[in-house]
Amino acid sequence: MKKYLFLSIASLFLASAAFAADSQIWDAMRIQNIYGYGQVESLGLGPLFTMLQANYFAQIFLAVLIGVPAVFLLHYLVIGPKVFSHDGKKIYAFSIFNRIVHQVAAISFIVLIPTGFIMTFGSYFGGGEFVRMMKDLHGIATISFGIVVIPMFLMWIKDMLPNFDDIKWMMIVGGYLSKEKKPVPAGKFNAGQKSWYWIATLGGMVMILTGATMYFLDFDIEMVRSMTGLSQIDLLRVAAILHAFFGMLVVALFFTHVYMAVFAIKGAIHSIITGYKEEEEVEILHSSWYKKLKKEGKI
Amino acid sequence: MSNNEMARMKFYCDDQRCIECNGCSVACAEAHELPTGVSRRKVITLNEGVEGKEFSTSVACMHCTDAPCEQVCPVDCFYIREDGIVLHDKDVCIGCGYCLYACPFGAPQFPRDGAFGTKGAMDKCTMCAGGPLETNSAHERELYGQNRIAEGKVPMCAAMCSTKALIVGSADEVAKIYRTRIAAKGKGVQSAPYGWSKAYSN
Repeated sequence: MKKYLFLSIASLFLASAAFAADSQIWDAMRIQNIYGYGQVESLGLGPLFTMLQANYFAQIFLAVLIGVPAVFLLHYLVIGPKVFSHDGKKIYAFSIFNRIVHQVAAISFIVLIPTGFIMTFGSYFGGGEFVRMMKDLHGIATISFGIVVIPMFLMWIKDMLPNFDDIKWMMIVGGYLSKEKKPVPAGKFNAGQKSWYWIATLGGMVMILTGATMYFLDFDIEMVRSMTGLSQIDLLRVAAILHAFFGMLVVALFFTHVYMAVFAIKGAIHSIITGYKEEEEVEILHSSWYKKLKKEGKI
Repeated sequence: MSNNEMARMKFYCDDQRCIECNGCSVACAEAHELPTGVSRRKVITLNEGVEGKEFSTSVACMHCTDAPCEQVCPVDCFYIREDGIVLHDKDVCIGCGYCLYACPFGAPQFPRDGAFGTKGAMDKCTMCAGGPLETNSAHERELYGQNRIAEGKVPMCAAMCSTKALIVGSADEVAKIYRTRIAAKGKGVQSAPYGWSKAYSN
């Protein structure tokens, strides 16, 4: 047993030594990595990244951070929340597996999003030890999200495929612009929830991959190089740009998701804790699913 | 300097003189006691094997005008001295790597000193001007290396360059030497120094 432990530790050290020796950035590859010398046509990703990061990324994140909640505050004040009876019958919507997977992802996001914002606005926190700690937390929370993102993708994909209800739902913005309780065309998940699902899972996977690229920085994976055809630094630049872009989408929809579950539909958050949705809520907000359940005699 | 304005410090590597001895790189690493795996200055050979076009040059942080690294840093750890030297505060740096993505020369490097191989604070050439800590203090020396500029000395790499290919000094002085050399040669076309169009275009 000891021998194996020793061997695995020794191989770890060897692996990290090889890591350091074959730098993809600062050794022989440095020439490919340096932008703009003579004849090699550059993709111009360096200036593009510099321009975006210097002038736009933090500003857009600030706009999302303030703008999205502001719109919802206005919605809450003008139109107000939807209130459904919590005394009626209940419909079982989320299995225990669904709920565990969702909760792990939820906790990960609760760590990932504030730590990401703190890094984006790092200068206002003075940088240094505190922001460094937030950066490490951002990396740790990625691991738990990485574990559940594929189960989450698979467990809901059947219900998340687009259908005609989604177009109708989009046309009336899910009925959230009126105070009336009229049945809204939607299956188990409405078009808004579906958008969030695809951004959170596929977008989340892009976030993990681009984040890992930036975290490991100097690595040599033949497949990545042959697939992208990019030099290591250009790969990092693409990763940074994509990470910021998808970050904006994920954050904006995350805020929406929280607003819907906590404020816009009173008490809706309980469904992901207990697994049961209110019958009246399903009848109105997921009318197609309600009809289907009724036809199958499940209610 | 004849006027009161601060001199603008620049690096110039004469690629007709560089013999790829790597002395600058070794001198720098030794003078600043850099950790293994970090070399602030590196000699690269371009167009290797292409007859008549091959040349070597020494690359480090060029201390650019409007330094891209300074523009992208999310924690604003960079500061640019009056003489144009671009420095950074390692106690503020979070090791995110953005400066490396912005840099046209691949200058910023990240020693992996944290647990689980997290990137430590960025390290790069300081033009031998230390950092924001007390000049020539033990702490400054430990984090940033020697502060030769404060002592009135030439940066280590240029001081030891055997062919005097690598020159560092005020823009005026460097330009004077550059012109004298071209005039002395008296033939051929001399292109602008490698990297200058990226570093000092503004």
